[in-house]
Amino acid sequence: MRRSSVSVIVVVFMIFALGGLAHGQVLNIAIPQDPDSFDPVKTVAAATSEVAFNIYEGLVKATPEGEVVGALARHWTVNDSNTIYTFYLRDGAVFHDGTQVTADDVVHALNRARDPEVAVRAGELSMIRDVRSIEKGVEIELYEPNGAFIYTLSEVYASIYPAHAADLARNPVGTGPYYLQEWLPNQELELRRFDQYWSGEKPYFEQANFLIIPDENSMVLNLKAGRVNLIPRLEMTVLHQVENDPNLEVLSAPMNLVQVFSINNAREPFNDWRVRKALALGVDRLAILYGAAWGHGTLLDSALSPSMANFYNDALHEVNPYDPQRARELLTEAGHENLKLTLTLPANYPLHVQAGELVAQQWKALGVQVDLQIVEWGTWLERVYTQRDYDVSVIGLAGRLDPHAILVRYTTNNSRNFFNFSNERYDELIALGLRTVGSDRRAVYLEAQKILAEELPGVFVMDPPQLAAMTKGIQGWRSYPTYVVDVASLYR
Amino acid sequence: MKRYLLQKTGGFVLTAILVSILTFFVIQILPGDPALLMLGTEATPEIYARVRVEMNLDKPVLQRYFGWFADFLKGQWGNSWRYSMPVRDLVARAFPLSILLAFLSVGAALLVATPAGMFMAARPKTYSARLISVLTQAGLGLPQFWVGLLLIQVFAVNMRLLPAGGNSSYASFLLPTLTLALPRAAILSRFMRVGMADALRQDYIRTARAKGVSSRAIFFKHALRNGSLAVVTVAGLQFAQLFAGTIVVEQVFGLPGVGQLLLTGVFQRDLPLVQAVVMVIVFLILLFDLAFDLCLGLLDPRIRYE
Repeated sequence: MRRSSVSVIVVVFMIFALGGLAHGQVLNIAIPQDPDSFDPVKTVAAATSEVAFNIYEGLVKATPEGEVVGALARHWTVNDSNTIYTFYLRDGAVFHDGTQVTADDVVHALNRARDPEVAVRAGELSMIRDVRSIEKGVEIELYEPNGAFIYTLSEVYASIYPAHAADLARNPVGTGPYYLQEWLPNQELELRRFDQYWSGEKPYFEQANFLIIPDENSMVLNLKAGRVNLIPRLEMTVLHQVENDPNLEVLSAPMNLVQVFSINNAREPFNDWRVRKALALGVDRLAILYGAAWGHGTLLDSALSPSMANFYNDALHEVNPYDPQRARELLTEAGHENLKLTLTLPANYPLHVQAGELVAQQWKALGVQVDLQIVEWGTWLERVYTQRDYDVSVIGLAGRLDPHAILVRYTTNNSRNFFNFSNERYDELIALGLRTVGSDRRAVYLEAQKILAEELPGVFVMDPPQLAAMTKGIQGWRSYPTYVVDVASLYR
Repeated sequence: MKRYLLQKTGGFVLTAILVSILTFFVIQILPGDPALLMLGTEATPEIYARVRVEMNLDKPVLQRYFGWFADFLKGQWGNSWRYSMPVRDLVARAFPLSILLAFLSVGAALLVATPAGMFMAARPKTYSARLISVLTQAGLGLPQFWVGLLLIQVFAVNMRLLPAGGNSSYASFLLPTLTLALPRAAILSRFMRVGMADALRQDYIRTARAKGVSSRAIFFKHALRNGSLAVVTVAGLQFAQLFAGTIVVEQVFGLPGVGQLLLTGVFQRDLPLVQAVVMVIVFLILLFDLAFDLCLGLLDPRIRYE
């Protein structure tokens, strides 16, 4: 009797266990939270672009190297004054609902994306004067030459969808290699391979499920148990649980995120360059890299990450070396031997909180009295970011494909300039960089980065690593300088 | 009885309105602007203003509250800001799961706790009773997230018997149920033991014994009914607490329940979502409270509804 009941239990368990096994070519990807909306002009959450990259395409799309290549546009030409771009559409590109992609769809989508009445990020396309359809594609006219323009077309908000599509927020219709089959909030997003995709190459996985698992420890256990095959963004705190598992693999790449100790340049005594310089020289970056990020990540001396290879200034390492002696001298010179400051840390980012706690110790060694204040994210955004009511803080600023989008933040009148940084030459350079098209842009941005390193809106610390953890056997992972997971490139 | 029900219903409506006011204004007072939370460090004044208009945040607070209240009564619960889908759909998906989990967990806890508590009361001096007592201590002391992760490690990672999370099969409910049932069984078994021990000391038990009723009949018939009153009350409370969601266990097992929904809602200051979830919880708890009162009356004839 007892034996038979045990075997019944075993059989029941086995049936359940078998039911859980994956069949077919299915890839299970763990992400911590849901997208907000699949309407390209409404979405603001990074979690959306990660998934949407596989569903939507623009005229152009980003590559892992940070370039843009034609997506729905087969190729494009630019007129001599760099103000009119002509995009030739790919033949045979089809939307997920089976309809043909037409120039009118492109015109509709781009006009909607720059309409401030509907589009959240309309301002990012404000350089466009007009979009019109021509015989084989579309023509986009700009007010003046703009070096960043072509990159903006690869962003989610510039995605192309059919003009007749309704309710994109929950039922996206794109042209990407995958389409959204089902979205169960807080549970999973099921993506299916789109067999009419314009590229001849079919992605390997027929189905990709993005599973929502908010807890990083259970994410790892799900990977170990085989329920999940890929964690695109592994938290560093659980890296040790994955590193030594022979069945798993971790790939590391720069995240294109700039961690910075932001300094309120408008506030006494930080408006004194010597005080900022002293704080910069008092930062032992290497100790922070080891203390807060277990030695993973890339040390930074610039407002751009090295993953922006075409524009990154790699000659800035000697500008702010760790030199506590010189830092103390500068503070004395400035008459601030007894400097007191409040360091505001965003509680939801352990990496930034730890970096802040470490730097507090380093600055205390200079004789600076550091008052740590850990605040909830909502409070941080309101007080530090919007009201700019702070002394020093720590934050990670996400990179983009184009340097302008990142560097414009430090110009005097920019609304995102919570550093209150102001430098005339810098403002000129940023304006110049935008007007410049082609290879001359590099020199402009190299100088701009140099100014930031010398004049110190804040102290740049590191680009944390993007760690992708996956089951051994998953091949083809590509890390991008933007926030995406490229499912189509993966195979087993 | 009629008057009792009338009074209850009156209290019901009043509580619901009070809670709705409280939730609405507490979310207003919390630092952190929902529009800003969505936009993060990419916010510019233009985008921010645009999002605020979409969220209706540009209107005065009182106007928004009454607008919400009227819409809610009409069954128009609006769209969640965070998920861009009707709040009703989100609520309709999350509650069945949490209620099922609550049923399973409290059921499992009762299944273990009742015999364990009875045994401890019947044979208090034995080693087995002491062992059970120690185990209940452990059950109370272990943090749930740790128990959950441990269970996943053993049953999903090492033995590969059960799914590590999700809700795709019935089997995936086993581990979360176990995690939730453990501390609850520990509490219930203690109430069972105390209740039974207390009942066994009563005069009517001595009378029964004097009449020559067998000790088995005394224990299972006379003492059990009175001894289990406290357990039923506590189990009811546990149940009510569980269907309002279990944030930790839902996070660890990746279950799309009420706790998860509420947590995201609060963090993102997703007012329509939080408001609706809280209202449904209040409604269910009040309903449950009423049903529970009536059930206790069946168990204990001394209870009168006046």
